Amino acid sequence: MAEEIKKPRTPPDPSSAKYKLSKIAADAYKDAVAAKARGEKVAWVSSNFPVEIPETMGIATVYPENQAAGIAARGAGARMCEEAETDGYSNDICAYARISLAYAKLKSCPEQDVAMPDVLLCCSNICSCMIKWYENLSRELNVPLIMLDIPFNPDDEVSEAQAAYVKGQFLEAVRRLEEITGKKWSDERFQEVMSNSCRTSRAWLAATAMARYTPSPFNGFDLLNHMAVMVTARGKPEAAEAMETLLKEYQENVETGKSTFRTEEKYRIMFEGIACWPWLRVTSAGLKSRGVNMVTTIYADAFGFDYDSFDGMIRAYCKVPNAINLETARDKRVKLCRDNGVEGLLVHTNRSCKLWSGFMPEMSRQIGAACHIPVVSFDGDQADPRNFSEAQYDTRVQGLTEIMDSRKGGESV
Amino acid sequence: MNTRELLSRFHAVASDPRGQMKKYLEAGERVVLTAPVYTPEELVHAMGLVPMGAWGADMPLEGAKEYFPAFICSVMQSILELGMKGVYDGASAIVIPSLCDSLKCLGQNWKYAVPAIPFIPMTYPQNRWGRVGTGFTRAGYERVIADLERATGAKFDPAGLAESIKVYNAHNAAMRRLDEALAVHAEIGAAQRSDLFKSAFFMKKEEHTAWVEELLAALEGEEPGAPKIKVMTTGILCDSPALLDIFDDLGLHIAADDVAAQSRQYRTDCAETGDPLDALAEKFAAMGCCSVLYDPDKKRPRTVVEQAKARGAKGVVVALTKFCDPEEFDVPFIKRECQAAGLPVALVEIDRQMVNFEQARTLLETFRDVLE
Ligand code: SF4
Ligand code: SF4
Repeated sequence: MAEEIKKPRTPPDPSSAKYKLSKIAADAYKDAVAAKARGEKVAWVSSNFPVEIPETMGIATVYPENQAAGIAARGAGARMCEEAETDGYSNDICAYARISLAYAKLKSCPEQDVAMPDVLLCCSNICSCMIKWYENLSRELNVPLIMLDIPFNPDDEVSEAQAAYVKGQFLEAVRRLEEITGKKWSDERFQEVMSNSCRTSRAWLAATAMARYTPSPFNGFDLLNHMAVMVTARGKPEAAEAMETLLKEYQENVETGKSTFRTEEKYRIMFEGIACWPWLRVTSAGLKSRGVNMVTTIYADAFGFDYDSFDGMIRAYCKVPNAINLETARDKRVKLCRDNGVEGLLVHTNRSCKLWSGFMPEMSRQIGAACHIPVVSFDGDQADPRNFSEAQYDTRVQGLTEIMDSRKGGESV
Repeated sequence: MNTRELLSRFHAVASDPRGQMKKYLEAGERVVLTAPVYTPEELVHAMGLVPMGAWGADMPLEGAKEYFPAFICSVMQSILELGMKGVYDGASAIVIPSLCDSLKCLGQNWKYAVPAIPFIPMTYPQNRWGRVGTGFTRAGYERVIADLERATGAKFDPAGLAESIKVYNAHNAAMRRLDEALAVHAEIGAAQRSDLFKSAFFMKKEEHTAWVEELLAALEGEEPGAPKIKVMTTGILCDSPALLDIFDDLGLHIAADDVAAQSRQYRTDCAETGDPLDALAEKFAAMGCCSVLYDPDKKRPRTVVEQAKARGAKGVVVALTKFCDPEEFDVPFIKRECQAAGLPVALVEIDRQMVNFEQARTLLETFRDVLE
C-alpha cells in the first residue's frame, strides 16, 4: 500500500463547531473520571435512555456504545471482541456488547478508557439485546441496574397504555437513582435541561436539513461524528451552542458554495445503518472517490427530541428509530430522501444489529419503490472488523454509482 | 392402548402439524397461530379458537431469505418460510410477541411476506411486575382480544377466560407430572420425550391433557427401564430427531430440561380467582428464569444448576439455537455456574437447516465419556 501523504495539520479553530463538538465529547469522558475521583457515582448509560434524568440530577455519565465505537474506530474492535469470545460470548452477539463486556472484565483499553460505573441505566427502546447486555454488566460488575423498558411499538401511534407504562417506570427510575446516588431530582432543573435538549435538537434538525441544497454544505460522514454529542450531551447548553454553530457554518457554506464534502458532489445518497467504525476511512473514501456524498441518514431525524412537556418527552422516547414499526420507519426515510434530493440508498447490513437489519430488506425495497431510487446493500459490522469485505463494499458502491449514473443519462462514469 | 401405542399417537401429531391443523379446519374450527416464546394462548382458547404453536420447522430456506438476513435465527426464518409456502393457509391470524429483536422483525416482515394471515402483535413489558407492569400486560392482552375479534368474528368474555385458565393450569400440572415421570423412565427416548412436548403445541390443551393422563396411568403400571446417564438440556428448542437420536445412541437420558419449547412453558400457573385478565397478567409477571424475560438478578443460570442437581443429572447440554442472542448472552453464566457446581457442560449449536450432525455426535460422545 502506498504511504499515506500526511497534510500538515492546521490547528483547529476553537470557535469552530468541529472543535466545540469534539471538546464536548472528550470532556464527557474526563468529567466522569473527575466525578469518580471526587467520590461521586458514575452511571453507564445506553444511548436512548432519557438523558434528561442523569442531566437533571447532575450524574456523570459514560455511554458504552460511544466507547465501543471509539475503540472500534481506533482499531481495537477485534481485540476486544475476541476477549469476550474467550469468555464464552458468541461472535454473533452485537459487537458493542462484546467490547463493553470485555472492558467490564479488563477495566482497561488504551483506545478509550472510561470511569467504571456505580449504576447502570439501560433503556430497551433501542433493542432488546441491550437488556441482556446490561443484565450481564450488572452481574459482572456487581452494580445496580435500572432498566427502563420502552417496547417496540407495532402501531403507528404511541398508545395511552404505553405512555403510562413508560411514565411509571421513569418515576421509579428517578426514585431509585436518588436512593443510589444521593442526588435529587428538581423540576426546575428539569425545565432547563428540557429547554437545552430541545434547543440542541432544533439546531441539529436544521443543520442536517441543510442537505436539501445542492451541493450539500456538508459530508454526511460529519454527522456520524457529531452524533455522539446528540446522544450524550444534548441536555447541556454547550451542546446547544455548538449545534447552533454547526448550523451557522452550514448556512455560510450554502451562501459561499462551500462544503465539507471536499470534491465534486456527483451523486447524493442516503446511508442506512450504523457506521462501520473500524472501516470508516475505507467506507468514506469509497464514496468520496466516486463523487458520492451521503447527504442524509436516519440520525438526521433520530435526535429530533423537540417536546414541551413531561408527557411529550415520554412519547418522544417511544418514537426513537429502533422502537417503531416498518411503516413509520419507512416514511421517515422516504421523507429524508425526498427532502434531500437523494438518488440512491446504500444499506449497511449490520451483522451486529438484528433489529436494525432484520426487516431492512423489505423496508429498503419499499423506500426504493416510493422514491424511485436504486437500493444496494453491503455486509458489515459496526465494530467487529472481521465482518466486512473491502472488495464487496467496493463492488456494491460501484454498482450503485453505475445505476445512479445511468439514470442521469450516463455522462459521468 | 399400551405405552408404545400411546407414544406413537403423540409422535403422529408432533410430526404432522399441518395434518393436525387440517383436521381442525375440516371440523369447522378456526385456527390461530401462536409464535414463541410466551403467547397468551389462553385468550385464543377462551374465544373458542384453536391456538396452534408456530415454532418453525427443519427445512431449507428460500423465500424467507428475501426478508431476513442470514444472521437471524432459523426459528424466525422457518416460520416465515412456512407462511410464504402456504403451509399455514387457513389460519385466521398469527399472534407474535415481541420478546426478542428477531421476533419484532418477524412481525414486521410477516405483514408483507404473508399478507393473507393477519399479524397480531403481543407487546409484553419487560418490567412486568407491579401495577405499572401488569397494567401494560393487560393492555397488550386487550389489544390481542380486539384484533382477534376483528380477524375471526369470535367474541371474548371473561367467564370463558376463567374456564380456559383452568384448562391451561390442568395442562401445566399434567406436563409437570409427565416431566417427573420421564426423569424416572429412562426407556422413553429423547425423541419420544420431545414428541410429548411438541404435540402440545398442535392440540387443544384439554385433549392433550387427556392423552398425557392416559400415558401417565400407563407408565405408573410399568417398571422403569434400566437407568442411563442422566443429563439436563437447556435452550430454546431441542426437537431435531437426528440430534435426539444421538442422545439415545449414546445412552444419554434427558432427566430434566430448561428448554423454552418444553418445560419453561409449564412452570407457572395462573390464579383461578379474581378478574381473569388481571390474573393472566400476574401470571406473566410471575414467570422468569428464561433468556427472553428480563432477569435482573440473573437467576436463570443458578436455576439450571439447581434443577440439574435435583434431578440427579450428571451434566448439562446447552442446545444453542444459532443466532439466538438472548440465549447467547446467558451461555457464559450457565457454563460458569455449572462448572462451579461440578457439572460438565456440552454446548451444541443447532439450527433448523442442519443436515450434518457428525460434529454434534463427536461432541456428545466426548461429553458422555466425561460423564462416565
Ligand atoms: S448495534 Fe443494534 S444490537 Fe447493538 S446495541 Fe445497538 S441497537 Fe442494539
Ligand atoms: S428467542 Fe432466540 S430462537 Fe427465539 S426468536 Fe428470539 S432469537 Fe430466535
